[in-house]
Amino acid sequence: MSAVTSDPPRTAARQAIRQMPVSLLVVLGLIVLLLAIGVIASPRFASLNNFRNIFQQSAALGFVSLGQTIVVLTGGIDLSVGAMISLTSNFTSGWIDGDPNMVIPVVVGVIALGAAIGCVNGALSHYLRVHPLIVTLGMSAILQGCTLLYSLAPVGKVTDDFEAFAYGRIFGLSYGGLAMLALFALVGVFLHRTRTGNAIYVVGGDARGARLLGISVARTMMLAYAMSGTCAALTGVYLVSRMGSGDPWRGDGFDLASITPVVVGGTALSGGRGGPLGTLLGVYLISLLNNILNFMDVSTFYQWIVQGFIIITAVAIHVEKGRRA
Amino acid sequence: MSEPISGELPTDRAASAFPTGQLLSKYGLLGFLVVNALVVSVLSPAFLKPENIANVLTQAAPLGIVVLGQTFVLLVGGVDLSVASVMATSAVIATGFAATDNRMVPVIFAAAIGLGLVVGLVNGFLVAKRNVSPFLATLATTVVLQGLRFLYTQGSTGSTLPSAFALMGAGRFLGVPVNLIALVVLAAIFGFVLLVSKHGRKIYLVGNNARGAILVGLPTDRIIIGCYALCSVIAAIAGLFLVGYVGQVDQWTGKGYELDSIVAAVMGGVAITGGRGNVFGALLGVVVLVVMFNAVILLGLPVQVQLILKGVIVIAASAFYLSGSWERI
Repeated sequence: MSAVTSDPPRTAARQAIRQMPVSLLVVLGLIVLLLAIGVIASPRFASLNNFRNIFQQSAALGFVSLGQTIVVLTGGIDLSVGAMISLTSNFTSGWIDGDPNMVIPVVVGVIALGAAIGCVNGALSHYLRVHPLIVTLGMSAILQGCTLLYSLAPVGKVTDDFEAFAYGRIFGLSYGGLAMLALFALVGVFLHRTRTGNAIYVVGGDARGARLLGISVARTMMLAYAMSGTCAALTGVYLVSRMGSGDPWRGDGFDLASITPVVVGGTALSGGRGGPLGTLLGVYLISLLNNILNFMDVSTFYQWIVQGFIIITAVAIHVEKGRRA
Repeated sequence: MSEPISGELPTDRAASAFPTGQLLSKYGLLGFLVVNALVVSVLSPAFLKPENIANVLTQAAPLGIVVLGQTFVLLVGGVDLSVASVMATSAVIATGFAATDNRMVPVIFAAAIGLGLVVGLVNGFLVAKRNVSPFLATLATTVVLQGLRFLYTQGSTGSTLPSAFALMGAGRFLGVPVNLIALVVLAAIFGFVLLVSKHGRKIYLVGNNARGAILVGLPTDRIIIGCYALCSVIAAIAGLFLVGYVGQVDQWTGKGYELDSIVAAVMGGVAITGGRGNVFGALLGVVVLVVMFNAVILLGLPVQVQLILKGVIVIAASAFYLSGSWERI
């Protein structure tokens, strides 16, 4: 009578669910709950078009949270993503300035810049032994200063082709949303299936142990922050594509916003536990929530309060998990 | 990468010989300030004018008050990101009474302090009892407060304040800024609590060695909650002084003070890992910060340079103090 003989696929699914961390199941449950609330709250909620919109709107938060996840896995934190988004969005539109020939060089250059600055974050934190909170906070001030030196107001414009990144659709699904999903899959495979990816978990779990295992902590840290910088730069580029121009304050608020999906998704701030799957669910949870609150005509003010309570609740769940383990 | 794995602090090694390292970390910042002030005063004679100095100190005082509280939280190994939100909310409370009568001042103070107490107790409860990371706990209260504040005001600005606030924020007494006098008094009280009283020793013990503190029977949780409560109450008071200086409320009074207060404290030798530093070092950090900001203006550099300087300073200062005994890998 055991399920093993009767229905192998279903057993596999059950096993997968059983192996899923509790926090992921909780997030999944919350998403289902929100969907139910959404259907009750507004007849227009449960339309294909609305879900496509949520899919599109989650892209920016997804990109930046993915990078944040990698850094948090090492036990660090990246508070410079907001300023990085401002910097890259400003440079992208300022340097392209309507010239189609500049699109590729500028985008490549800006993303490389993001990676390089991230690398510096990791190096400073490791070699100077300064807490990542302080390093990235300092870097955030430096980047915001540079952004404002470049321009105090929105600057430049992009080509119509470039806006396709945000608005183009295939089967009704936006390129941006698809790119985000692809990137999550890529990073997921990298973290779980490659030596270097595993090293990020090991360093986050026990840095001293990682060194004894022959893992270069310095290289791992620099790589993690470089990936976070890259993701933030990509977010900046994406937002330029969506808004049509850069803005020296575009990234304001993203530091904290990027951390919410990470902790909601069950990645421990102490490092070594969690992963991109949880963050992805966290991103969809937040996007769904914002969408429903908009449908319910709830002011942004309530949305802030809700966000605060989500963080507290998520962390409380996580703490309970830690105690059980 | 051939460094030993054991985590020995440099100061331990220097203890027997001449304590160069200790002297540097103790008086380095003061030396830096003096050199800085000398260079700036040579480049711009306006710097040393009494009027300029009084202005700089008036602007520095609210930050100094916030830093007093932030230091207590940092000392127990925490961090309080909610101070700016508390300041803004207390400023909203100040104008919320739409009072012009100075007799309302004590009421406003009581309301603001009550707000600070509630926020601080919530922060402390989450951190000490629920084991939430201080960063997230105070971040959450920041956002919740922000929502409540905007719900209350609907985003409109207010500027109805009793006249005493202008005196508090920007007035002078015998040529000395009033808010600076308030800062000095508060600093003296909290410096005494921290460095002389028994309570201060307990705070250092909790920050240095939480397990040890529990083993000797200290109410660790209560001490941590107390520090967060103190920090938020002080931030609420600082918000009142700042709104007195600015003269109106735009919902974001004190924006950036959460980071500036951490920067100043870290610069003044307060370790972000807890247990090291004191309020006077942190206040010296405030002075260095505002002198550098003032120098940027006096030397005619773009204001944005202030931001870049702030970033460079906080990283350099942390590296200098090796706060990074954080995780010596």
